[in-house]
Amino acid sequence: MAWITKNSGTMAIETREEPYLDDELKAEIEANIIPRYPDRRAATLPTLHAVQHKVGWLPTQALKEIADFLGSAPSEVMDTATFYEEYWLKPKGKYVIWLCQSISCELMGRDTIMSKIKAKLNIEPGETTEDGKFTLMNVECLGSCGTAPCGLVNEKLHENMTVDNIDQILDSLE
Amino acid sequence: MALQEPVLTKRIPTPPFGDFSQRKLNSYEDFVATGGYVALKKAIDMQPSEIIDIMKASELRGRGGAGFPAGVKWSFLPPQDGKPRYLAVNSDESEPGTFKDRMLLDFDPHILLEGIAICMRACQLDTTYIYIRGEYHHQAKVLNAAIDEAYANNIFGPNSIMGKINDREPRCFVHRGAGAYICGEETALLNSLEGKRGWPRIKPPFPAVAGAFGRPTIINNVETLAMCGPIIDKGVDWFKSMGVARPQGAPAHVPASYGPKLIGVSGHVNRPGVYEENLGITVREMIEKYCGGMRNGKKFKSAVPGGIAMGVLGTDQIDAPLDFDIGKKFGCLGLGTAGVIVMDEDTDMVAVARNIVRFFSHESCGQCTPCREGSNWVYKTLCRIEEGNGTTADLDLLLEVSGSQGAMPGTTICGLADGTNWAIKTILNKFWDDFESRVSVSTVAGYSLPVLA
Repeated sequence: MAWITKNSGTMAIETREEPYLDDELKAEIEANIIPRYPDRRAATLPTLHAVQHKVGWLPTQALKEIADFLGSAPSEVMDTATFYEEYWLKPKGKYVIWLCQSISCELMGRDTIMSKIKAKLNIEPGETTEDGKFTLMNVECLGSCGTAPCGLVNEKLHENMTVDNIDQILDSLE
Repeated sequence: MALQEPVLTKRIPTPPFGDFSQRKLNSYEDFVATGGYVALKKAIDMQPSEIIDIMKASELRGRGGAGFPAGVKWSFLPPQDGKPRYLAVNSDESEPGTFKDRMLLDFDPHILLEGIAICMRACQLDTTYIYIRGEYHHQAKVLNAAIDEAYANNIFGPNSIMGKINDREPRCFVHRGAGAYICGEETALLNSLEGKRGWPRIKPPFPAVAGAFGRPTIINNVETLAMCGPIIDKGVDWFKSMGVARPQGAPAHVPASYGPKLIGVSGHVNRPGVYEENLGITVREMIEKYCGGMRNGKKFKSAVPGGIAMGVLGTDQIDAPLDFDIGKKFGCLGLGTAGVIVMDEDTDMVAVARNIVRFFSHESCGQCTPCREGSNWVYKTLCRIEEGNGTTADLDLLLEVSGSQGAMPGTTICGLADGTNWAIKTILNKFWDDFESRVSVSTVAGYSLPVLA
């Protein structure tokens, strides 16, 4: 739920010496993303995507670095990052399984597939397996209703999922 | 009359003109070899105002859900003042049941880029941002590669065949969203483009006056822009020969539904998919002619005409023609995106309502209280009914909330709350028995609420 915010004001922020938004990434964004927009703040979404792609998730320190880089307040970047479902403010598994739960997928039997995955991985939606390999998520419509039920594994879309081929899909992931 | 030859699916094999398995990505060369960018060259030879006049005369209505005439939208722009003007392409296709733009982006991205170039020339817009939803990873890559091809072939860029637009070089970029349905609302899209949370803005000012970065901005759906090329190329009369004309003698403000439309059919049919047909085709024809009939030979129960915010059609409304007048005639919100979801006789309409409201409750941006809180309470109420703990008072309450302007509908900045309530209202009204059989009669003494999670 996009509008649920976390009370992180009183928590200490974990930091590390090495920046998440390093010089190489900064140079790349400066050259390819920033010139696209009339102001720097507009590059917030692409920069969050880029950092998350590199780091795997968005630590608070990274949000602060992005804010400094784009000339925004850290709270503004936080505001944006917390709104969107795809940004991870806590570590996730190596593979995130987003199983669509919207109407076409539910009509075509996504519930049985979800039960199968839950049993196989022994986790509930929103949780990560102990070995850090899989994170399971319910997600709203993935825009592939004609090939329901469908799900994303990281960036790859799997269509026409069945209780049989879900084994194959999960077993093929290293 | 059925579609005589494919228009938007010209390069995307689709039954009955081709087979799904033959679909492949069309490169710049493929696109040009099959008559691509001819319309853009014609548009370059015209005055910008001429292009807008053609679009107005074609009465092309927006394909993104609202059905606003595209040419009229284009004419709302203020005169140029030397500063930038933008085009934002809405490719945040997130409404359950809607998957038509994905097909265009997957297989024929240049048909969109040609439409974008025509719109930029007509409206004198110098920069385009294609706002694509975050989950479309593959489509964003395809689109980026297509844009690179377009730059290399001088569609955009410093040496663009369009020359300078608004005294600047025409540019086109992809802007990826990050998983928020509300960013498909045009002003939320603009906020998201500016790097903010996707909260819809109060209108006016309308985006045509003060949109992205406070500058005049046109926002169009992918399919709407993709249709511009064929209209410029083949003309208004050709376009108006398809679809549903205005009734004889009706005044100009009565909507007509000209042209072909991508119709995505999903749910309980044998061959779901995106098909192209003239507006006005009935749900029955779509199911029988294109989708190979109902799955497992079951009977039809209900269908969503175009994305779940539009509500549902009743069992006896299978012959409803899919055109922009469907809302008024068949008691739903409208045609929407023509993403038809078909449900068979075994479907539990209470579960359908619960699923639909869960979607809206999850995707409410949280800005307006009636929507944020209301959709969540409606969801909990529907869960209670589904679990067998509902009472008749719940049903009355749902009807009251969804049916009264000023409760949830009509009290919010954008249309998400209205969509939620249209869905509840139409399902309740058309499938009352399904609900009534699930609830117990409420008495004052016996009326108790189970503890809600």
